[in-house]
Amino acid sequence: MVGAPPGVPTKFDVVVIGAGPAGSSAAYLLAKEGFKVLMVERGRGPGTKEVYGGKIYAAPLREVWPELDKEAPIHRWVTREKMSLVYGDRITTIDYKLARGVAFTTYLTEMAKWMAGKAVEAGAILVDEVVVEEIVEENGKVVGIRSGPDKIYADYVIDAEGVNRILLEKLGLVEKIDPETVALGVKEVIKVGEKNINERFGLEKGEGLAWLLAGDITRGIPGGGFIYTMKDTVSVGLVLHIGKALETAQKGALQESVPLLVEKLRLHPFFKRFWKDADVMEYGAHMTIEGGLRFMPKKLYMPGLLVVGDAAGLLLNTGYTIRGVDYAVYSGKLAAETIVEAHNNGGPTEENLAKYEEKVKNSFIYKELVKHRGIEKVMSDPLFFTKLPSLVNRLMAKLYEADYEEPTVLEALISSFQEEDLSLTKLLFKLLSVVSKL
Amino acid sequence: MSGVMEKPIKIEDLLQRNVYDVDEEPHIVIPMDDQTGIPKELTLLCPCSCYTSVGEKLLYSYEGCLECGLCRVVSNNPRMKWTYPKSGRGIHYRFT
Repeated sequence: MVGAPPGVPTKFDVVVIGAGPAGSSAAYLLAKEGFKVLMVERGRGPGTKEVYGGKIYAAPLREVWPELDKEAPIHRWVTREKMSLVYGDRITTIDYKLARGVAFTTYLTEMAKWMAGKAVEAGAILVDEVVVEEIVEENGKVVGIRSGPDKIYADYVIDAEGVNRILLEKLGLVEKIDPETVALGVKEVIKVGEKNINERFGLEKGEGLAWLLAGDITRGIPGGGFIYTMKDTVSVGLVLHIGKALETAQKGALQESVPLLVEKLRLHPFFKRFWKDADVMEYGAHMTIEGGLRFMPKKLYMPGLLVVGDAAGLLLNTGYTIRGVDYAVYSGKLAAETIVEAHNNGGPTEENLAKYEEKVKNSFIYKELVKHRGIEKVMSDPLFFTKLPSLVNRLMAKLYEADYEEPTVLEALISSFQEEDLSLTKLLFKLLSVVSKL
Repeated sequence: MSGVMEKPIKIEDLLQRNVYDVDEEPHIVIPMDDQTGIPKELTLLCPCSCYTSVGEKLLYSYEGCLECGLCRVVSNNPRMKWTYPKSGRGIHYRFT
């Protein structure tokens, strides 16, 4: 295998494609059970192709690594959740205070390195700098992987290749990605300093903030902004619905490039105070899943193959929170359990591996995805990204910026709706449909 | 530092902050003679502004690529090549 160290055998019990959260969780649990596991990673080390940072929910991770809280590279425990509607320099914010322990912030680059390290400690072999080019299929069964001229065989292949899922497309398990089901995340890491972060965001040592923004910062494109506090840096960026971004640009309604939009968020007259004088250390972009169930392959398995993590469409974006890393880790756990059971019961047959899909469908992940089904339709409605932030801020201005005559709430509401050319019943109806799907 | 960060940073300068190990061989290739199905809006949408237009044609420079896959998803041209860079090359994220 190109770049593989000499002496790496060409037959394993399990080959895992991708040393991200899903792949490393599966590799760790299987190596611990004594399986011969090979992890193949395209980057120069695990995590080097990851962009997320990022709030991660701890509970599903603790099921795989009970030592998480003590050992993992946790930057801050999230104790503040904020949501803002932004319109120009007017901002209306909800600010929620919570106890430590539910979710933490970290760079996924660091976290993935830790998770893959755990798998290696447990006995998995990691080969990096290798791009898998094909999942090898023989007589309807997956039997291994190929990179360049080299093939590596395995009883079980776990596809944890991530959102771009080039290999699954080649294999014919999924169609080309529909732009309506994905979003682009673009992010800057800004070196603000630990003390400045604590002072400017009002945080105690070790406490973190997750802040989501919606409004004209995305120029009418469904999506939003985010601000996460790391230990001594702040992550700032945008998530943009790709299908709708293309549509907006094609209509000529997008004047600025995506990188300029991100820069304008950094320079926003209100938000810029949080990272005053601090420099940008890194600029990254990664695709994420918007479509939930619509992105999920029709089957999460075939003989010899299991699909986990982003490649399996296991990510929830409700608009107020995003859960992907924990779902990935949990799906890796379910894949590992399935393989252990299959191994004791006849091997990588269709019937045995179908149990993985059953496990996913009976898990909290799938139930959550079903429960929030349809949210992406609502979340791609421009009303919520243009009219609503504008309306709410208009209303606030009327209530709080009256020099002499204070309007009643009803007066302020009615005139805001009139100025916005919006019908109250239409908005209430829409809001109700959102709330029912959240 | 004061003031320097108060203006939009040009994309070339933003990408300068990243670590790359650029492959000699491009991992993305777009055909020059027939660009049907490759939206010209990529000049706005590509997060590293790797797409530029010269007249009617799109040009692509792969060196600053962040490997997000957006251009692959929005394009529909059988002759467009999109793979991950080989042998650990390409973007090398340290934080994010």
